[in-house]
Amino acid sequence: MSDNAESPTETQKDEPSTPQQPTEDSGMADDKKKIDVLLKAVGDTPIMKTKKWSVEKGRTVQSLSQFISRFLKMEANEQLFIYVNQSFSPSPDQEVGVLFQCFGSDGKLVLHYCKSQAWG
Amino acid sequence: MLHVTIPPFPPPEMSSCFLDEETFCQCCQLLLQHSHSLCDGWSWEQVKGSEEGYLRKTALGTGRTRCNLDQQGNSSDQHQERTFSLSFHNDDDDDDEDDGAVCCIQEESSSSSVVQYEYHILYSCSYQTPVLYFRASTLEGRSLCLEEVWDSVHPNYRQRLQHRPWDTITQQEHPLLGQSFFVLHPCRTEEFMMPVLKAALEEHRQVNYIVTWLSVVGPVVGLDVPLSYCTQKHQWLCTRRLIDCK
Repeated sequence: MSDNAESPTETQKDEPSTPQQPTEDSGMADDKKKIDVLLKAVGDTPIMKTKKWSVEKGRTVQSLSQFISRFLKMEANEQLFIYVNQSFSPSPDQEVGVLFQCFGSDGKLVLHYCKSQAWG
Repeated sequence: MLHVTIPPFPPPEMSSCFLDEETFCQCCQLLLQHSHSLCDGWSWEQVKGSEEGYLRKTALGTGRTRCNLDQQGNSSDQHQERTFSLSFHNDDDDDDEDDGAVCCIQEESSSSSVVQYEYHILYSCSYQTPVLYFRASTLEGRSLCLEEVWDSVHPNYRQRLQHRPWDTITQQEHPLLGQSFFVLHPCRTEEFMMPVLKAALEEHRQVNYIVTWLSVVGPVVGLDVPLSYCTQKHQWLCTRRLIDCK
């Protein structure tokens, strides 16, 4: 199943003490804008070494989920879930830019992720 | 509009995240309040002569079906009368390939089409969790077969489903209606609910179990939960904090 997996276009960031505002390319279209995402592991899910990512606004939750799954080298029987507000799993088709508008604070969007076998 | 006050959930003494039936009903009522404001179609169905009820919603979505095949197995106009019987219904057709039990779907011969979904959220006493039952049919009224339903699962969950489809979605008799429904297996619900509830408990936040659970399981089978279910609750929590501070 092809899952239009691009190699990560996100920019890895070191762990700054204060989150940076996304940088704007002068003269570029709006769709080049990125948002800062902070990824936090839930439960027994492995913690990603790099937690801060700069993600294009139009990127979907599914796309981010695939990226994290590959990063964590997840098994076929495991499913990754992403949460906003630590309590709500947005639709996989939702764009992260919209999530940032609704749930972003201090210039970043905090997303919790959890892996689980989920069904059975 | 009736506002329901519910006792804190998760309860401070929570040692597991199983849901009791009363809290299930209360969470459903809160969901319904927001649903009414959005007009997004949820209703509470009470079973006649019983205390039991369930949430219900119908929606149009997309799925992968074989309803538009002709006799040569080629795609054709979807309004053409079908000549294959691909479900478990009465089979008057000459084609006996799908003889009986198994409905074999090949990826290349299925196509995206509009599917009518009907979703029910029931409480399971044995699992002590909510369970999502659903029906799926083409616009011509033909029920999708199990393989078509598996094929229609959102791509985000496809790999996990294909790993063990029989553990994920199967057909069962609806516990209250006695009709055949598809069901998303609930045995591991606690596995993905527990971390969320634990975090809420530690931070003294309240969550609506049903909203959280539905946001996780719904999208698998085409049922997206609008973001405002989360933000609305957030506003509700803020209100409660204000009340507590006075």
